[in-house]
Amino acid sequence: METNRLFDEYYENSYIQGGTACCPGCGGPLFWRMTLEALGPKTIIYGDGPCAYCAIRNIKLPNFGIHFSFVADGSTGILAALAAKGREDITVVSSGGDGAIGDISFGKVSAAAERNENMIQICVDNEAYMNTGIQKSGLTPFGAWTTTTPLGKEAPKKEIPLIIAQHRVPYVATTSVAYPRDLQAKMKKASGIQGFKYLHTVIPCPTGWRFDPAKSVEVVRLGVETWVWPLYEIEDGVLRLTLKPKQRPVEDYLKAQNRFRHLSDDQIKFIQSETDTRRKRLLENDGKRIIL
Amino acid sequence: MSFTRMMEGNEAAAWGARLSRAEVVPAYPITPQTEVISHIATFIAEGKMKAQYIKVEGEHTAMAAAVGASVAGARVFTASASQGIAYMEEALWMPPGRRLPIVMCMVNRALAPIGGLRPDHNDSLMQRDNGWIQLYCENSQEVLDTIIMAYRIGEDRRVYLPVAPCYDGYFVSATATPTTVPDQAEVDEFLPPYVHEMYSLMPESYRPRPFEMNIAKARYEVQQAHERAKAVIEEVDVEYSKRFGRGYDGLLEEYACDDVDAVLMTMGSMTGTARDVVDEMQADGKKIGLLKLRGFRPFPTEELQGLAKRFHAIGVVDRNTSYGSAGGGIVSMEVARALYPLEDRPLLLNFHVGLGGSDVTMRQIGYMADKTLEAVETGRVEKAVDWVELVDLGEVM
Repeated sequence: METNRLFDEYYENSYIQGGTACCPGCGGPLFWRMTLEALGPKTIIYGDGPCAYCAIRNIKLPNFGIHFSFVADGSTGILAALAAKGREDITVVSSGGDGAIGDISFGKVSAAAERNENMIQICVDNEAYMNTGIQKSGLTPFGAWTTTTPLGKEAPKKEIPLIIAQHRVPYVATTSVAYPRDLQAKMKKASGIQGFKYLHTVIPCPTGWRFDPAKSVEVVRLGVETWVWPLYEIEDGVLRLTLKPKQRPVEDYLKAQNRFRHLSDDQIKFIQSETDTRRKRLLENDGKRIIL
Repeated sequence: MSFTRMMEGNEAAAWGARLSRAEVVPAYPITPQTEVISHIATFIAEGKMKAQYIKVEGEHTAMAAAVGASVAGARVFTASASQGIAYMEEALWMPPGRRLPIVMCMVNRALAPIGGLRPDHNDSLMQRDNGWIQLYCENSQEVLDTIIMAYRIGEDRRVYLPVAPCYDGYFVSATATPTTVPDQAEVDEFLPPYVHEMYSLMPESYRPRPFEMNIAKARYEVQQAHERAKAVIEEVDVEYSKRFGRGYDGLLEEYACDDVDAVLMTMGSMTGTARDVVDEMQADGKKIGLLKLRGFRPFPTEELQGLAKRFHAIGVVDRNTSYGSAGGGIVSMEVARALYPLEDRPLLLNFHVGLGGSDVTMRQIGYMADKTLEAVETGRVEKAVDWVELVDLGEVM
């Protein structure tokens, strides 16, 4: 009974309701709870289909979504309607998954960035089409097993945050549910900025990444600690690393997930050297203007 | 103040959107729709129209943004054509199911690869099953009037459906005909501001639309809305004609049908030519009349059944193709289904003509009328589906 009371109280004060269509250990509901806590009730959420939408369905705030080929467009319409009604007090959040933003709706996100639509565009990145049963997307990392890359993905992940930054939008950031304070600070900052804000977040997916659902937060934290998933922001073209953890070997991250279990030592070495190079370049450019 | 001048269909469409006080216009250019949106852009730039014009990167986004804006409570207008409508198709299924009264002009143009820049009706007719109301217009005046009426129809709580005023590229879009632009205050009286009673997306009044999980029920709901729309379209037409002095007989217009043996049925711009041909033929004592099919969705089944008893034959003119179909063009198949339950049904002939925007000539219309009358005389249909353009009719006229 005491547990029930605590749960009821918890959900009463939260912008998401209990019960979810998401898999056990999914980072989606966690992400939305943190995000909406930061943004507050004057928010409209527009979302794409599958995984990202499973979590959105539980949001108590105004929300509406179409399929994953519709990222950033419905929210553009909502913004226009708000402008027509003279409502500038509402934050509009547009959400999309990695398959939506990296692949099928890539052009839409690019166009919304070009128009500098006044929305927070979120990428809920679980690194594959998980809702359809784990198929490779443009944001699946090198070497990862999916049902369409049974031998591991051949190509690296698209660098979407940097691509969006090249549109000269006012704010781009990467976040992780393992770092709620960092995530919420970035979300709050974004809501205070006029124009297109892009927040790319990695979402742990026990189902697709093949690990114990109880270890969700642990696994994405390893991603940050190994520098596979660096946390940074790009404000007005200037890069700033928001967390510079002591680097752990990528093996710690890869070995925690069965989607990487087929990797050879050489492949792991390759991923390590790529990660090192990227880390070095990020550190070299920390605090510098990276958009020319 | 109301004024009259020569005006192309596309400018008339822009005036329709302006007078209807559309608040959001997401649009992407495509020939032959382009002038609609460039006229609207000019209206907005000159401060004569207060609307948010979203210059989207494609038609798929145009319709999705329209959906977002409509859900958020704005009156939305857009326009597209041909390949654009095809590219938009995924998004076109969203407004009817969500019951959003978006108005979009479909400026007819043939589809690739065997198309061109001129009109036939396959682009809009291939959208016949997704729940949009489709009203086919004959000239600039009808385009303007139909857009204003479209908002009244779509936003009626008995309907809540998107409406597509359709008109032929070039023959209507780029041809100037005398057009009366009504007074804004008059239009304001006819068309109150848009309020959707079903749901709201605003934080202070958020009401999500109840999601019908039973798909058959959800679809039946849209079907019922179409059935109710038939009466609403007639009603709005009557009210419009009382106020503005111009009416279009709702879904189906009879032209010179008194005491005739047979009728041709046309859609869109060719109707104007057909009126002249029918007049001439009647002067020569031939008993041919004309039905102008204005509403393809909802289809005026009952009205057509009522009329059909008076005719011995109907010649349906299809400016479209449906390869491998049960027989002939899309309109003729609808007509056949509508007439089938009648015990004493007229003979049915079908003509393909004007494909890819080729001219529908007076001679061709005369040919089709003669063939239809011939069927009445002999009591049988010689050729059920006739590709008129492949028949040598001598000199073009």
